Amino acid sequence: MVGHYLKTTALALALGGWATGAMAADPSLDLVEPLAEYKLYVAENTAKLVEDTTAFTDAVKAGDVEKAKSLFAPTRTSYEKIEPIAELFSDLDVSIDARADDYEQAEQDPDFTGFHRIEYGLWEQGSTEGLAEYADKLLADVKELDARINGLTFPPEVVVGGAAVLMEEVAATKISGEEDRYSRTDLWDFDANFEGAEKIYELLRPLIADDEADFTAKVDGNFAAVDEVLEKYRSADGGFVSYEELTDTDRNALSAKVNTLAEDLATLRGKLGLG
Amino acid sequence: MNDQGRLSTTRRTLLRQIGLGALGGTIAGSIGIHARAQDAKTAPQVVDAPPGHAETAAQHVPFHGRHQAGILTPRPASGIFAAFDVVVASLDDFERMLRLLTERAAFLTQGGEVPARDPKLPPADSGLLGPVIAPDNLTITLGLGASLFDRHDWLAGLKPARLQRMVQFPNDALDPALCHGDLSLQFCANLPDTNIHALRDIVKNLSEFLVLRWMIEGSVPPVPPAPDGSTPSARNFLGFRDGSANPDANDAALMERVVWTHGPDEPEWAHGGSYQAVRVIRNFVERWDRAPLAEQERIFGRTKMTGAPLDAPRASEYDVPDYAADPDGATTPPDSHIRLANPRTPKSERNLMLRRPFNYSRGVLRNGQLDQGLLFIAYQADLEAGFIAVQNQLNGEPLEEYIKPVGGGYFFALPGAAVGDYLGASLVNAARRS
Ligand code: HEM
Repeated sequence: MVGHYLKTTALALALGGWATGAMAADPSLDLVEPLAEYKLYVAENTAKLVEDTTAFTDAVKAGDVEKAKSLFAPTRTSYEKIEPIAELFSDLDVSIDARADDYEQAEQDPDFTGFHRIEYGLWEQGSTEGLAEYADKLLADVKELDARINGLTFPPEVVVGGAAVLMEEVAATKISGEEDRYSRTDLWDFDANFEGAEKIYELLRPLIADDEADFTAKVDGNFAAVDEVLEKYRSADGGFVSYEELTDTDRNALSAKVNTLAEDLATLRGKLGLG
Repeated sequence: MNDQGRLSTTRRTLLRQIGLGALGGTIAGSIGIHARAQDAKTAPQVVDAPPGHAETAAQHVPFHGRHQAGILTPRPASGIFAAFDVVVASLDDFERMLRLLTERAAFLTQGGEVPARDPKLPPADSGLLGPVIAPDNLTITLGLGASLFDRHDWLAGLKPARLQRMVQFPNDALDPALCHGDLSLQFCANLPDTNIHALRDIVKNLSEFLVLRWMIEGSVPPVPPAPDGSTPSARNFLGFRDGSANPDANDAALMERVVWTHGPDEPEWAHGGSYQAVRVIRNFVERWDRAPLAEQERIFGRTKMTGAPLDAPRASEYDVPDYAADPDGATTPPDSHIRLANPRTPKSERNLMLRRPFNYSRGVLRNGQLDQGLLFIAYQADLEAGFIAVQNQLNGEPLEEYIKPVGGGYFFALPGAAVGDYLGASLVNAARRS
């Protein structure tokens, strides 16, 4: 998504900033309100991310493995919901959310940090030993992310395109269960990615509902179908059971819905007149 | 997740686009200086597209007919076999899927212009073949697996009588990531790009229904034709001609018996379809290349260069061995591949099948050996009398030292679709009646 960001940056440079440039032309005017609302949504999530990460990293530093494990998945959800925006800062995205196979030396790589490095320690090594430095760095990164996002003017096509981006995320790394490979908490991320995509779609839906009734009916149906599958995997505490319990049939159903949502949501930008 | 490498590339592209910075300036400048003039006819450049052949690009195989194309159709140089899981909640969904699949396959195999779309939207087509799709001999053959019938009550009682889940044979080492599936698509074309384009079209347009499970790409080496236009059987990766003793696909009566499913114990809707047995069979090529030629020929029962039977080494590959004259197997060993696969007795007549394989090459294994083999595809009227019986005869053959089946599955290739109809219509109609 860096591509969108830079392209938009170029456009903004050319026009003297998106607020007066890209946003001034019709039909972007209609986007002002949904964009403002989305910005609020993201701000709420980054605030929550800072709060939850503080509790999570405190537990890690206190050596409380069980507590840290129980906070891992719920803490990540606020990050996963806003990933299209969070990803704009690729340096932070790497240090917060990279996976071991992004590195040549995998888990042993000195650059492997963030949530998944801590996840590796907690689940694979069953200990918080040596994790304090990663905890400190994660918290600092998350606070930095919060500050940067608060100062950001949201590029419209990044927000609108974000719904599809979240589906691409699920299709590329979540369906296969690669994301949270040590904790098997992938379904939490799944759910958060869907929620983030649905939020964007819901905010924009009124702008297209009249002209694109077939489209919205299909997208609504696919979101509902995903919810229905995920509901089956809710745990008693409101979270999700292990990824391993996902049946092949349900994985296929999710995969088909995710790819179809990705296809359809990828047309949102065009439908709203954004190139 | 983004990697940082992409960021810098994107940034460079951006700089170039908006003409900022020394880097951007240099690139823009160099384009002006070095790009060759478009009007002058110059000597070929390194990245010019290799010249294609208008004649082969225009070749097309009719899509509609009593049987599906891609079974008796002469096999072109490139193939892809892809197995999918199917997501359908109802018979109506299933029909929608079949209609859409038929529409895409009919378009792709006959070729035509890609529809233009508002550039603000993702393009309708991947574009990898340009604005006009050449048919390029493409066939797309649709099969269904037992799992699809077993999972949906609305298909209850309609499964072809011999359709079943492939089970492990003694020499197999099956990789679950290369086995089975609800639905199969066999793509065959002159060029691999034509198959890849078609596969991507279907993956994109049928995302709602199809989840790709596994796939293998294959090829066979083309041979310059003889003056009469004929070519010999293509060679497999063990260097032998493969297909010499195949039943004659131009003999319609023989095909009715050997290939097309018929018979009172098969559901009516399935008549005119065919059982598709697919096996991904690794070849231990390094080891094979270290085996003496005479042993290689004894293992198959044919000579390596010409394909002639061992009892008539000067004959052609199309000559058949006379086992009656060699009852002890002094010339053609009793455990040679061809003698086990087809002992040529009146009884073995019912075990015939039509083989239509491709070779595959998939990189390197952890042990540093080449991952190459045979994408075995065979069609038969009766899966049990055909592939399963013959594989059981082959179990324990000396060739096993050099091969390892690692994947595959059994599917039922549907009967063909008449013009205006869709593939699988006879099955859907039967399901509506029951
Ligand atoms: C890597 C695996 C295999 C290789 C390299 C291979 C190769 C060959 C070769 C070179 C021939 C002789 C030429 C010809 O008639 O085509 C042949 C014949 C044949 N093969 Fe295979 N084959 C393989 C697997 C199989 C399997 C799995 C089956 C079926 C279960 C099979 C069935 C046959 C039959 C029926 C013939 C014709 C025999 C005849 O009618 O004389 N082959 N194969």
